[in-house]
Amino acid sequence: MDMEGSPQVTRRTTRSCAVSSNDVESTKPSESYKPTLNDLAFGKQPFGLEDLLSRFPCRRTQILEFLRLLGPLNSPLFPVLVYGGPSTGKTSVTLQVFRHLNRPFIYSSCVTCYSPRILFESMLNQLLFHRKDSKHSYSSVKRCERPSDFVNYLREALENVISSLKGNSGKSNSKMSGRPDGTMVYLVFDNLECVRYWDKSSTILPFLFNLYDILKMPEVGLIFISNISPDMYYLNIGYVEPIPLYFLNYTEDDLRHIFMVNQTNRKLYASFLDVVLRPFCRVTRRVDELAAALSSLFKKYCEPLSDKEVAPNEEMKRKLFSQIRPHISSALNETFQVRSQPLLGAEANKTKKTNSSKMSGILEDFDKIDFHMSTSAKYLLISAFLASRNPATLDASLFDSTGVSDSRKRKRKASEKSMDQKEMAEQELHMKGPGTFPLERLLAIFQCITSLAEDSLDEEESRELTTEGSSRGLMSDVLLQLSSLCNANFIIKGGSCPLEGSTRYRTAVSEDLALKVARSLKFPLSKYLYRR
Amino acid sequence: MGREKEKEKPSEEALNLLRSRLSDPNFIFRPLSDSPDSNYSKLKFIISTSVTEACNNSILLLGPRGSGKVAVLELVLSDLLLQYPEAISVIRLNGLLHSDDNCALKEIARQLCMEHQLLFSKVASFDDNSLFVIAMLRECGLAHKTIIFVLDEFDFFAQGKQRLLYSLLDAMQSVNSQAVVIGVSCRLDVDQLLEKRVRSRFSHRKLLFLSPSKEETERLMEHILSLPVDSSIPHNYAAEFNGRLKKIFSDERFKELINTYLSYNFTIGHLVRFLFQAVSYMDLDVRFLSHENFKTALSSNQRQPKLECIRDCSILELYMLVCMKRLEVKEQNSYNFYSVMTEYKSIHDSSQTSDNYAANVCLRAFEHLLQRQLISFIDNKGHNQSVEFRPVKLLISSAELHQGLKSYHQCPAILLRLMDR
Repeated sequence: MDMEGSPQVTRRTTRSCAVSSNDVESTKPSESYKPTLNDLAFGKQPFGLEDLLSRFPCRRTQILEFLRLLGPLNSPLFPVLVYGGPSTGKTSVTLQVFRHLNRPFIYSSCVTCYSPRILFESMLNQLLFHRKDSKHSYSSVKRCERPSDFVNYLREALENVISSLKGNSGKSNSKMSGRPDGTMVYLVFDNLECVRYWDKSSTILPFLFNLYDILKMPEVGLIFISNISPDMYYLNIGYVEPIPLYFLNYTEDDLRHIFMVNQTNRKLYASFLDVVLRPFCRVTRRVDELAAALSSLFKKYCEPLSDKEVAPNEEMKRKLFSQIRPHISSALNETFQVRSQPLLGAEANKTKKTNSSKMSGILEDFDKIDFHMSTSAKYLLISAFLASRNPATLDASLFDSTGVSDSRKRKRKASEKSMDQKEMAEQELHMKGPGTFPLERLLAIFQCITSLAEDSLDEEESRELTTEGSSRGLMSDVLLQLSSLCNANFIIKGGSCPLEGSTRYRTAVSEDLALKVARSLKFPLSKYLYRR
Repeated sequence: MGREKEKEKPSEEALNLLRSRLSDPNFIFRPLSDSPDSNYSKLKFIISTSVTEACNNSILLLGPRGSGKVAVLELVLSDLLLQYPEAISVIRLNGLLHSDDNCALKEIARQLCMEHQLLFSKVASFDDNSLFVIAMLRECGLAHKTIIFVLDEFDFFAQGKQRLLYSLLDAMQSVNSQAVVIGVSCRLDVDQLLEKRVRSRFSHRKLLFLSPSKEETERLMEHILSLPVDSSIPHNYAAEFNGRLKKIFSDERFKELINTYLSYNFTIGHLVRFLFQAVSYMDLDVRFLSHENFKTALSSNQRQPKLECIRDCSILELYMLVCMKRLEVKEQNSYNFYSVMTEYKSIHDSSQTSDNYAANVCLRAFEHLLQRQLISFIDNKGHNQSVEFRPVKLLISSAELHQGLKSYHQCPAILLRLMDR
């Protein structure tokens, strides 16, 4: 930090200000990129039909139908609704089709543009070749909130773009890279189902579907992409429906084709898929989830092979199958997450250590939580779980002053009637969900538990000299921890108490997670849980 | 690109021509408007008498969506603008956009300014705009210029306090103006929605747009799809195209197909969309329209979305749906994910199937079903409960579920058995 260079500053500066103030003077402000008409095309080199079809192995019929609906150059188009399940390739096919045809289009997704104003402004920015930059404090080119303003601006912008496209097409050789073909502009709306949850959805959805009739411009084509079928869009006001184009989910054979693409050792992977694909397809048929699960399983499958390029014969296939079989059933019961790297390394270490029982190595991972929490947050989580699960009247007996719970009292033999009652009560508990509790009760339980923990820690410390980084006194701001737990959705703010009006809270963690957290703290959770 | 245009095949040219014809409402509705008792002539008569006799008028155009109300109106207006170029100015409002009074008046003022080349200020207030509009009405009345207000989606203007309608109609009556108010709506009872004071100022003229008869529809289709013989398309190609088209139209199967389509989509707008699909499916190698194109277009319109959703589900998701169905049969009115899981476990306890999966995998399948909208939450206010505890309901009937399971490829037999019981 150069103290002589900085001017006499009388107001307080933060450290980052002081550091960066010198850097800014040395560099010139970079020229912001100005978009032009050529940016309306996809931008990369367009490719032929066979390339397009080979990129999407099982989408031949849909791509051909889409191309037929779009029609030849400069041919008008009725609105099209592309719909299908998630991860079936709707957005990528649409964008690649426009790359193949090299026609100008603008794209906006209703997930990133989460309100009408952002949607309208994003489309106008693209049509008016405006890019948000720091010079204008990241503002859009026009402020546009209402559909009436949007239609006027849109019409103006589209007319400008179309007239410049017409000027371009008059010149020869527009197959030059970067310049889009034709005089039509296509508007692509992605993730249309998100609009149903907007505040103004009752006016915006009919507006979008009627946009073609309102604009009355034959040089504009509208394409909607949606995850749900068109019958879920029925509203009070009607509209002439867009032409539907359905992307069905992949069948098992399709999935096999897709996963075989770009594999280096095809025979090995084919034998892997023979074993693995069918059981996994019974659980889910989505490509993204299957890809995450199969990639980690394939690594395990190839482990015993010294040479990864070899094509397996029958005997090798049988050996590999018997080796991977126990892993399959456990992998099926996982929700397919892509784990962060360090855990993968730790997993490898663990399986090397426990060669005799590979199953236990996998189970061990299930016992650990794979995110970090401070100790006081963990205690708070457990207290919230207990407060939601146990009725308030039991608190006194469970957490008495000595901090010892007395579970020996409840060892009575269960009769038939009480078993049935227990079942009914459990069902009722499951229907209602966890109960709510006020803040004071949570803090009281928290106090009791942490005083317990401090005592036990003291005892342990007298035996071992090392503590693993857990602080002795839990001196953090508990209310701050509580609010961060609420934001992370571990604790939900429930309704308010009808008498007092204070807010009540509710736990949102499952019993498994609470047990895992308690195990990491060595806290005997099951002793405190009330079981009817 | 220039060189390629010369080599363009006649089939491609024909395709382009047909597609642009189908997207152009003027072309579609002009032949229907030729007869003297059509809506076109009636409307033209009404508006032209208001223009020539310098009186005020109001009229409602009613009819289902796609029956050509705005198209016929645009035909009439374009013809009148040719006939009386200086005596008409048109203001277009749309109920979807301008139902709010402020918005509407701003839009009227903006369009008036654009027509008469005046400067329009965006920050003018509501009062300024209304004074301006009334002043313009008076001036146009003095200059014998008729202002035609086209109010599309008229039922939206009839919501709320109807201030705009009242002020327009009132201005028409009190100020020395010449104006015609044309309301266009799909609701046939829209005049019942008007307030008493607005209705008293509204003349009760209505024009109903009904769907054309079968013969008219056939004539229309032939007119649209026949290629003209004296254009840039080579003559023998056009003649052969038209000949094949006539053969398709006279085929019994085609008549049946069209009747099926028209029995539930009876307006011209829907027919035009159907023809557009059929035309775009034309195979450029075959070079002519075939019966297959029409059949494909019909089948793409006869989709059953819920059955398609079921076919896209995985087997675990089908298990969840069947469990929910059984809970409904047991008359358990409200159920959530945990009740479904208990049912799922009881099925596996009673008949040891191989599809027993852990709770988190089942929860993910449950969330997939929510995403595909095969099930949904009962109320949207339950955001203070996690997903597993919120009550859900099925959005698919048991008949559809049954049909979906039967047509599912390799459906486990136990599911069908459970559904039958």
